[in-house]
Amino acid sequence: MNPLAIIRQFFQGLTAETTPGQIGAGITLGFLIGLMPKATLTAQLLIVLMMATRVNIPMAILTVFAVSLVNPLLDKITDPMGYALLTSEALRPLWTKLYNMPIAPWTGFNNTVVPGGLVLGALLSAPVYFAGRRFGVFYNEKFRDRVMNSKFVKGLKASWLLDWYFKGAV
Amino acid sequence: MRWSYLLPRLTLLLLLWAFFFFAFDPLLKWGMIKGIEKGTKAKAEIAVLKTSFLHPSLKIAGLAIGDSKEEYRNLLEFSELSFSAEGAPLLEKKLVVDSASLKGLRFGTPRKTSGKLPLVKEEPSELVDALVAESKGFALERAADVKTDVAADYKVDPAELESVKLAKQLEESYQKDYSDISSRVNAKKYEAGLDAMKARYEKAKGEKNFARQAKDYADIAKEVKKLTADFKKDKDEAEAALAKAKDAFKAVEEARKKDMAAVMAKMKLPSLDTQSIARMLAGPLIAEKTAQAMKWMGLARKYMPANTKGVLKNEARRGREVHFPKENAYPTLLVRRLELTGELGEDPLEYSGTVEGLTTQPQVYGRPTTAVIKGAKGARRLDFKTSVDATGEEIKTASELSYAGMPVAQLQLGSPSSFMVEITNGTGAFEASLKTAGEELSGKAAFRLAGASFKPKADNIKAAPLRSAVESSFAGLSSAVIGAEIAGTIKSPKLAINTDLANALSKAFSGAMGAEVKKAQEAAQKKVDEALKPYRAKLDNMAAAKQAELEGKLKDAEAKVTGAGEKLLKDLTPGKMKLPKFKL
Repeated sequence: MNPLAIIRQFFQGLTAETTPGQIGAGITLGFLIGLMPKATLTAQLLIVLMMATRVNIPMAILTVFAVSLVNPLLDKITDPMGYALLTSEALRPLWTKLYNMPIAPWTGFNNTVVPGGLVLGALLSAPVYFAGRRFGVFYNEKFRDRVMNSKFVKGLKASWLLDWYFKGAV
Repeated sequence: MRWSYLLPRLTLLLLLWAFFFFAFDPLLKWGMIKGIEKGTKAKAEIAVLKTSFLHPSLKIAGLAIGDSKEEYRNLLEFSELSFSAEGAPLLEKKLVVDSASLKGLRFGTPRKTSGKLPLVKEEPSELVDALVAESKGFALERAADVKTDVAADYKVDPAELESVKLAKQLEESYQKDYSDISSRVNAKKYEAGLDAMKARYEKAKGEKNFARQAKDYADIAKEVKKLTADFKKDKDEAEAALAKAKDAFKAVEEARKKDMAAVMAKMKLPSLDTQSIARMLAGPLIAEKTAQAMKWMGLARKYMPANTKGVLKNEARRGREVHFPKENAYPTLLVRRLELTGELGEDPLEYSGTVEGLTTQPQVYGRPTTAVIKGAKGARRLDFKTSVDATGEEIKTASELSYAGMPVAQLQLGSPSSFMVEITNGTGAFEASLKTAGEELSGKAAFRLAGASFKPKADNIKAAPLRSAVESSFAGLSSAVIGAEIAGTIKSPKLAINTDLANALSKAFSGAMGAEVKKAQEAAQKKVDEALKPYRAKLDNMAAAKQAELEGKLKDAEAKVTGAGEKLLKDLTPGKMKLPKFKL
């Protein structure tokens, strides 16, 4: 993923797409991406989804970093979950078929933490989304104006280079 | 949808293309150079590296790798390596190359610039160091004083003898091996298993359903047979393991011989033992070549695939990767056939050959990697074949090399501090074979020299009769055979060296002052034997006692397990089953 595009979306997201729903969705997507090993097609596709939809990107990126930091602990849950799924006799035909398909191995589906992470992410997506939405309400009430009026954002606005690059979006 | 995001993707794709077009090849080249330098601890150069993505291919030209030991010499160089990858396996994250070509492979070529890397130290080889020290320490200078009964003054300290140290080590390791082996034959485990089956038999006896009872009886009988067979297998394995542990004692005898040579050297007396003389003459040269070969082998093993055959392999950075059966199984990396051409030696001998089945996952490929190389020029003939089989539980290799008609301009044997032979203008024929299975290795090599002139440098021999005997023993010589046998493990190889030059030298020693030296040697041997005797006796007694103990234990357990098993099987015979009564 183009790092410049991510930085651009990050700054834009500080002031745009800040409804509680968008913040909640960003945190949920970030949580899911954070659980994945990043060098897999699954994680890359989720990043594309994050960038392509109108979710709050700064919150999503911050959540990715936060979840990635605690991955060694979360792996203790996702690894056995994924192992149970990958060694399940009922699912064996599906995995074998995927394993024999082109492209599919790039998704890293046969790595225990990928299916484990997807299942854990799916199970926790609703509580994470609602918690994120509540955080969004809190953020909009307490922080949004402070962020908008912060020297950092004002400085960015004043920079002609960034203004040109962001096309006045900040 | 965020179209402002989606549209710039095209720009990104363009940037990606530009990256691969302009920057990927230099970055890959840099990464490869750094990787090779890390592995070989010397400078590496690549003149050209070109990749193509539409028709996936790689071309490397002008690769040269410096020798970490010789600053201005290359370990190897080649003019071109090229291959094209198959497209379909790439979609499955697999790199499969049907045919590759490696041209102009040469070893030991001179280089214009230094191949040394800063802050890199070559690790010393124990094998080379030991043989060089033995060669340097080979004493000749006091041969004239032998009549002064030098052996009588010399005291042997048991703590310094290698054989005593080894006997102590073997005692410890044997005791550990014994406790491991002994715990493996756990009769209680089998007795408990038989008790459980007895309980199942009692339960099945009371079963009223005839068909179910018959099935239960058959199941129990099958399990009893399996249990007794397992016990027998464990017992046989234990006996074999104990015998193997005792085999290690043979090394004490070898160590004793070395102690003898060391004691003779300390007494500044020449050894008459041809093995010691052969080690002094050809040891440093052979050890250096062996250490070099072991270094290559170590490097190859480092990049050799692991021999884990299980379904689950922990090869991912996070989590574990579970593998499934493949309809068309491709290894992650496979080069089906590599055509190879190159040159050998200063007067280049051109050779060509093929390497087949180069892969990172031999278990998936299911075939060993093989290489065949042949070359000829005038009277010179080169034949090399090797096979690396990593498809099983342990990696097995078998290699054979034959190089005949090799010109030998100059060759020095021995050590300048003791005795040296300079061999010039000869022709050599080298034959070697080497096999490895896991960590174990065994092999032999022979180097036959013909039409050469031998010039001894015996200035260090102060005793005039001995010096002239040594010089005359080499006078009419024009051919020689140097042989070596290698055994032991890859980490700790054991070399046995023999040469007919040693026989000539030994005869010269014996002829000139053999009787006196032999007398001194016998006295020294007596001292070494006396020092070693209590340790050797302790080791032998301990082994005999432990063997008797294990035999008793196994006999007792066998009686219990087999007896109980046979009784249970007797009870389970159809004759003991109550057949249902049918009223007709």
